[in-house]
Amino acid sequence: MTQNIEHQVEEQAKFWSGVAPPNAASEEFARGLAEIAKGFERLRGQMAFEDEPSSFEAALQEIKERTP
Amino acid sequence: MTARTARTTDLTRLTLIEASNAVRDGEVTSVSLTQAALDGFAAADPILNASIALDREEALEQAHGLDRLRKVGRLLGSLHGVPLAHKDMYYRAGKLCTCGSKIRRAFRPTYTATAIRRLENAGSITIGSLNMAEFAQNPTGHNAHFGDCHNPWHVDYCTGGSSSGSGAAVAARLIYGALGSDTGGSIRLPATMCGITGIKGTQTRVSRYGAMPLSFSADNVGPLARTARDCARLLREIAGHDPNDPTSSSEPVPDYEASLDGDIRGVVIGIPTNFFLDGAAPEVRGAFDAAMKLLEARGAETVKLEFPHMDAVNTYASVISRAEGAAIHAQWMRKQPRDYSVHLGGRLYAGYAIPAVQYLEALSRRGPILRAFGKDVFSKCHVFATPTIRMKVPTLAATDIDAGAAGAVEAFGAISINTRAINYLGLPSVSAPCGFDSDGLPIGFQIQGRPFGEGKVLKVADAYQRDTDWHTRIPGLSSTTMVERRAAG
Repeated sequence: MTQNIEHQVEEQAKFWSGVAPPNAASEEFARGLAEIAKGFERLRGQMAFEDEPSSFEAALQEIKERTP
Repeated sequence: MTARTARTTDLTRLTLIEASNAVRDGEVTSVSLTQAALDGFAAADPILNASIALDREEALEQAHGLDRLRKVGRLLGSLHGVPLAHKDMYYRAGKLCTCGSKIRRAFRPTYTATAIRRLENAGSITIGSLNMAEFAQNPTGHNAHFGDCHNPWHVDYCTGGSSSGSGAAVAARLIYGALGSDTGGSIRLPATMCGITGIKGTQTRVSRYGAMPLSFSADNVGPLARTARDCARLLREIAGHDPNDPTSSSEPVPDYEASLDGDIRGVVIGIPTNFFLDGAAPEVRGAFDAAMKLLEARGAETVKLEFPHMDAVNTYASVISRAEGAAIHAQWMRKQPRDYSVHLGGRLYAGYAIPAVQYLEALSRRGPILRAFGKDVFSKCHVFATPTIRMKVPTLAATDIDAGAAGAVEAFGAISINTRAINYLGLPSVSAPCGFDSDGLPIGFQIQGRPFGEGKVLKVADAYQRDTDWHTRIPGLSSTTMVERRAAG
């Protein structure tokens, strides 16, 4: 990638959603995505998708509080 | 002091449970409680800015009606005659519902939120709507359209958000309880910063029908009140399946109050060795450690645990509500972006660049990570506790993105780092006050349990409040003090 994060965010927001940066603070929030992207990068290889069907709602039930 | 002033301050000191019991037993009327609440708003709200609109005449009319019912021996429910006010994002048919925004300043929904309807069916009176972060999207209490909400412990400090008015109004003894909403901490942050108690239930525990959406995967409806017992009563009334919200759970709703007996002998409380205490301010850490010691003295056991996948939880929790919020607001962001405050427009804007792959990765791993918590955490403890926020309560000025405060964007993320992780996991979580910092602002801690373990987390919080008085302390900018001050001229 050759563009900085601000330009990438601007292009993505415009291309997919037709949204333009509304104010000066937008650039700072755009830069914040870089840290989140690094977080995703660090997670690569740590968790795999499961072969079997799985859902958050099922997990809530699976580990829920049981009344004695 | 006049008799009316004395009466008002006496009544506003009551907890929600005390107020509802007093009406039930004929010791006070609903009219007197409602008038005291309205007097409190009149005295303190010019400084706090906790309300957006009050329905004075309608509230008093309803109170008269409820008093007449009681006189003939009829009580509607456990909240008969108790005045409440709620975050201005709960729909009430025909009433303005601004969502704290310019965009919805004239919005009048045609139906009523299930949570409001259930509270009113239990006998409560909705006396008005409370200030909030614009579209429930900041953790501080700033609002560019209706004015910032101010902390009743010190006017220069944040109330916490996004349920800012709910936190300030309950802490200032203007009202006995209030609905907030919690997508990344928006109930627990104002609860901790204002020195009161607030609970978000398990994801799906409370119907979201008629509640302004922010993030379909993480939104929760819940109460803020003065005590864990108050919260137990309010949560019981609003929890449970709602046919109008197919995502709401059919899990039975226990009588949370009945389990609050102070007996926490044998309860094992997990204390994290990673993530939740990283970089915590020494005063916050000290108050949290003292709270754990006190719970141990009551018979609980504490165990230090390493929590699994916290890097993943923190990363994934950062994208879900942003992506979902961006989708909800896309039309307005295209057509009237300047109608948003600076900080919200900027925050939403970044959401349009989050790739679908990353959003789906975050969603799809929620179940497996929650299962890992079941295996690695809840196999070793019944509940776990953390500071609600790691830092001392910040000032409004230091976190004012719209005014260009340096570091304010980072501060937004830092405030909610402990709470939004819990939203990702979907666990029930109650925040309770556990001290004050050197600036005189409250410190709080949050207790989490297994899914649908609301009763257990409330039981621990209630046990803690039996041995402490943090939740009984009244701030300087309260109804009690301001009504007296006004009467004294």
